Amino acid sequence: MAAKESAVETIDDGIAEPGIEPGASSETMLVTTDSFDEYEQEMSSSIDGDRQMKESTGSTISEIQEDSTQDIPISASPQESGKTLSLDDAEMDDVAHRLGQSNIDGDPLRCKAWLAQKKHIFILSQAGKPIYSRYSSEDKLVTVMGVMQALVSFVQAGSDMIRSVHAGDTNFVFVVKGPLILVAVSKTLESVPQLTLQLTYVYNQIISVLTQSQLNRVYDQRRNFDLRRLLTGSERLIDHLLNFMDREPAFFLGAIKCLPLLPSMRSSITQTIIQTCAKIKNLVFAILLANNQLVTLVRMNKFFLHPMDLHIIQNLVDSSESLKTAESWTPICLPKFDSNGYMHGHVSYLSEDCQACLLLLTVDRDVFFVLSDAKQKIVEKLRRTNCLEAINESMNKPTITTADIGLPDMRHVLYKCKSTAQFWNPGFQPPYTTDEEIERLLGLYQCLHHRLHSPSRPLKLIFQQLDKETMLAWVASGFELYVTFEPLVTKPDAIEAVSKLLKWIKKEEERLFILNSPTF
Amino acid sequence: MQVMLLGDSGVGKTCLLTRFRDGRFLSGNYITTVGIDFRNKVVTVDDTPIKLQIWDTAGQERFRSVTHAYYRDAHALLLLYDVTNKTSYDNIRAWLSEIREHANEDVVIMLLGNKSDCGTERVVKREDGERLAQEYKVPFMETSAKTGLNVELAFLAVARELKARKSDNPDETKFNVQDYVRQQSQRNTCFNSSCLTT
Repeated sequence: MAAKESAVETIDDGIAEPGIEPGASSETMLVTTDSFDEYEQEMSSSIDGDRQMKESTGSTISEIQEDSTQDIPISASPQESGKTLSLDDAEMDDVAHRLGQSNIDGDPLRCKAWLAQKKHIFILSQAGKPIYSRYSSEDKLVTVMGVMQALVSFVQAGSDMIRSVHAGDTNFVFVVKGPLILVAVSKTLESVPQLTLQLTYVYNQIISVLTQSQLNRVYDQRRNFDLRRLLTGSERLIDHLLNFMDREPAFFLGAIKCLPLLPSMRSSITQTIIQTCAKIKNLVFAILLANNQLVTLVRMNKFFLHPMDLHIIQNLVDSSESLKTAESWTPICLPKFDSNGYMHGHVSYLSEDCQACLLLLTVDRDVFFVLSDAKQKIVEKLRRTNCLEAINESMNKPTITTADIGLPDMRHVLYKCKSTAQFWNPGFQPPYTTDEEIERLLGLYQCLHHRLHSPSRPLKLIFQQLDKETMLAWVASGFELYVTFEPLVTKPDAIEAVSKLLKWIKKEEERLFILNSPTF
Repeated sequence: MQVMLLGDSGVGKTCLLTRFRDGRFLSGNYITTVGIDFRNKVVTVDDTPIKLQIWDTAGQERFRSVTHAYYRDAHALLLLYDVTNKTSYDNIRAWLSEIREHANEDVVIMLLGNKSDCGTERVVKREDGERLAQEYKVPFMETSAKTGLNVELAFLAVARELKARKSDNPDETKFNVQDYVRQQSQRNTCFNSSCLTT
């Protein structure tokens, strides 16, 4: 793998308008974060878990219910960063050996196919009870999970926290949160922070189903509680989330993709929702998703949605076929918004002929019929103003590729606008047409992402010639850019193409991104 | 008229409703209801259209607190178990005591043993269902969302009963849902050889 890194100046000079930041906006409806904030928080919070938990007991939901005018208390997260535990080689071999042994011994499920899986995810309780395993029934894995629990508690006994174990090409990553232990065993190229982030997502998915307070309560009452009882039917949400994270860049980017729409159409849709729902008290968010992309998001003044919460919502919608056939009234906890309480969601697809999903989230548990009426009105108005048609048209249109834009050397790109936490990517084109190739490409992006954001040595620019493609990654003040080129592209050509691409995105920004932040 | 479907996770509540409303069977994928789903269907009883608002609930324990809130508004409850799943049958008692606690006293309750088409996998006998129903004095029948057996009848019986209760006509108030179900379901099941009639 020949890697050449060029100086930042080269590319800055090469681009005609260095100040260009497509999609940037001072208004945002999403909480903007560096996706690695999560990791750092994770590192500090699990060392000082109790403190973190006490600090986050303020309930946003009850605050809205009380109609209070105070601002949300901002919980100061402890700043000390976590230490990475280093085992010496002998110990590591021993651990790997023992894990390997217990895999082979006895169980029919520990067959070659199971062992060959690229990324295993396990969840267990601090007492060592199996809760979830990605590729097999968790109760067949009691011994392996016992080993995991032993590793965690052994290190805990020394007032430290196990982060990861590295053995050959396999990474064992641990996250200990509240009463749960989450473990990833991965042969992918994903970095420890990226795997930690994925485990945090899995934890948040569980919180979204149960709430933090319920989770703590059941384990306070009984340390050896079998959590599977409460999670029945939710395993599929975790399964789906894991597959979703393997093929969606949104998660590691910490960003949301919008459905491309004419700005006038989008604003008409937004206004319809605002007008119809203006008088409904306690409605916190109205979210319209189509093809799992954001059409619009209306929020209650002073409350913002975290991209992580929106990803959890997208996962729910994408994995629940039953939502397509009826109006649903469902409790959902948004871990970043308020991890201790449920929001109540009216969830429905707009109509048979327009498969966009509308979610109206409130803190009021008795307003189903009010929201049901509102939804009917919204759909009628959208139909009259041809908005349904516009949504359909955009949903059915094949995604534009970089070839369509007139960039023959460029195969694919990820563009994230930092100030709005939104991203855009074109459609895949050959050779990225099979699942394997797409996964490989996303893996390459993840590697670049890790190197740009590496906690120990962050980079601003990477230009890398690989065997099958040439990659460029660039963090500017307003955006992050990851580009895949033909393998033999020259540096000047690449820079010119990037510059052309940025101009195109700038030109299209009103269609590709949501640049305002509407409120009720 | 508000009708609510209750029962353990996976007994076939959504499938029963889909069969009734759309006349088709949701095969293959296991579809989990998230929270409560609302659907409407108009049925005709003696030339009178009756609008049924049907609430399909999630069977999982974690949704109980949400569904409890809607018990009190329901006029009728269809309580399902799965004849191939003993636990779902055993839990019926718990469901009934929950209903006593949260629902209106005069709510119409009907017990349904679903998946009656699964001949060889059956573990709950028809008599077991009948005995339980007698004990709690609720009407009972076995249904199959797959073949459609007794599905229409279950909803129609409920609609008929609700209509009779609402009506001032003294003749109609004598309508007895238990007798009606007994007559109708036997007649229906005669055509179905895979189900034992008593």
